[in-house]
Amino acid sequence: MQKRVMMTNNSALCRIVPAGRLVKGSSLDVLTAVRDAVHLGSLLLTHPLCGNLRPYQQPFRSVLMQENPGALVHLESLSMIEDAVLLYRSCRDRLVFPNMLPEPLRADYAFVDFELMKESLELYGLLPRSASPDFTETPDFTNTPDFTKTSSATGEAAVMF
Amino acid sequence: MRLELHRIFVNKLAFGDKTGVEDGTLTIDKKELLALISEDELLGKNLDVDVAMPGESVRIIPVKDVIEPRWKIEGKGQVFPGMISDVDPVGEGKTLVLSGAAVVTAGKIVRFQEGIIDMSGPGADYTPYSKTCNVVLLLEPANPDMDKHDYEAACRMAGLKTAAYLARCCADAAADRVDVFDHPNIREAMTSHAALPKVGYLYMLQTQGLLHDTYLYGVDVKKILPTVLSPLEVMDGAIVSGNCVSACDKNSSYVHQNNPVIADMLKRHGKDFNFVTCIVTNENVTLADKRRSSGFATKLAAMLGLDGIVITEEGFGNPDADLIMNCWKAERLGIKTALLTDEYAGQDGASQSLADSCVEGDACVTAGNANEVVVLPPMEKVLGVPNEANVIAGGWQGSLAADGAITVELQAITGATSELGYTKLGAYTI
Repeated sequence: MQKRVMMTNNSALCRIVPAGRLVKGSSLDVLTAVRDAVHLGSLLLTHPLCGNLRPYQQPFRSVLMQENPGALVHLESLSMIEDAVLLYRSCRDRLVFPNMLPEPLRADYAFVDFELMKESLELYGLLPRSASPDFTETPDFTNTPDFTKTSSATGEAAVMF
Repeated sequence: MRLELHRIFVNKLAFGDKTGVEDGTLTIDKKELLALISEDELLGKNLDVDVAMPGESVRIIPVKDVIEPRWKIEGKGQVFPGMISDVDPVGEGKTLVLSGAAVVTAGKIVRFQEGIIDMSGPGADYTPYSKTCNVVLLLEPANPDMDKHDYEAACRMAGLKTAAYLARCCADAAADRVDVFDHPNIREAMTSHAALPKVGYLYMLQTQGLLHDTYLYGVDVKKILPTVLSPLEVMDGAIVSGNCVSACDKNSSYVHQNNPVIADMLKRHGKDFNFVTCIVTNENVTLADKRRSSGFATKLAAMLGLDGIVITEEGFGNPDADLIMNCWKAERLGIKTALLTDEYAGQDGASQSLADSCVEGDACVTAGNANEVVVLPPMEKVLGVPNEANVIAGGWQGSLAADGAITVELQAITGATSELGYTKLGAYTI
């Protein structure tokens, strides 16, 4: 069955989008989770790179995709997500995690991530009309990355359903 | 179409009792200007206007947009159509330009997406707006919790209103120089210069959402299909920036008004090639939009029988995908492309420059590496909020030193790597 879902590490956004799946981790962790889904037949609906920010600067990443369980791998989606993962990995050492930023800067980044997804969510009917995210809420950092390890963003993040 | 730009050269700013220009000095009635921008209830009570001149020890931060004062003195429509004027087409007649003057809007919205202008020192070499006589609007929202869309719109309108007001007050002054631009309609273009290649300009505009929007005749460009536009309409403010994305490669309204790609293509029209038209397109977020717009824009180019197109990008990352789609789709239709972009190649210049690429993109011009690190020494006067240096893109916690010096990447400097080429940076093949 085809289903549209949003992979994101932006917990405030995930809370208001029923099709949201929270990836607890970095922006690279989100892309890695998306890549895994593409290998299982999912199709990208939004481009995996963020809008006009360097990959390492925007701690939040949200990607819309359509799940097609059992479908052949969509090569265009695969090419895009693999390229994006490579790009993010190339600047892994500089990646900013949500909990590295002071408020209200973190809220600013979460807000812009939402704003850049808004049109797409509305286009695909995934944003409830009454939705109004609160980006100033205390974020959930239960899966805070361990910066003592260089492999802090290896795609082993927990995907919450 | 024929447009005359009646230029009055401004080399000095002063506050006085009546707004007007004389002998190169633009005098501003500050009270009247403040009253004009205060009409907007979305703006707060503590608005201010200041001036910053080339060579002064002044820093402006955080900068949102820069606009050149213009006002139509003859012909249809008025400057910034659909924004502060009616929606009638522009690009014909006579337009007064206060050359050398600029309106700078400073006011924070989402803080990390705004920039720095230094009027002297090493930072001044990287921004074209250190060479203009700047009328700086220091803006704030009516209340701190105001919707960010409303506040962005209020700042944008304040800048446009001020630019039009300043030029309108000088409408009776004699021009120092008149530049005349003629641009043929499509039929004339198709039947002239038979020996020259037909060339178009594919003008990509940033359109991804709040702080990433651009307006064409007042229409949010993310909602358009690519369309044709006369280069002369752009000079009258048909395209207005509503975005404050990374400061170095956002196309300010000023750069749209003075688009150097258009200026150069008009100069070479009839000599090196036949400049047929501009095609404006967007940079949206969904893949369906990217495919639709790139397919449509290149289809228009093919329908017009173009042999080649110059493509300029706005922004970095996600828009690289649009740039590359436009490139290979045009090339595979038999239309040669030349790309103008900038680079994010890391502080050492050794990293991958663009987020996307294609084999067809073999003619590419760069406006510089936005990751280059520069140290901006302290300035005697700061207009705005100096500690924003710690949070704007290109800066980091600790960017602002105790003495007021700022260490940042070029990314933080307004217009430093302009992807329309309105910058001193560039690269040469040696």
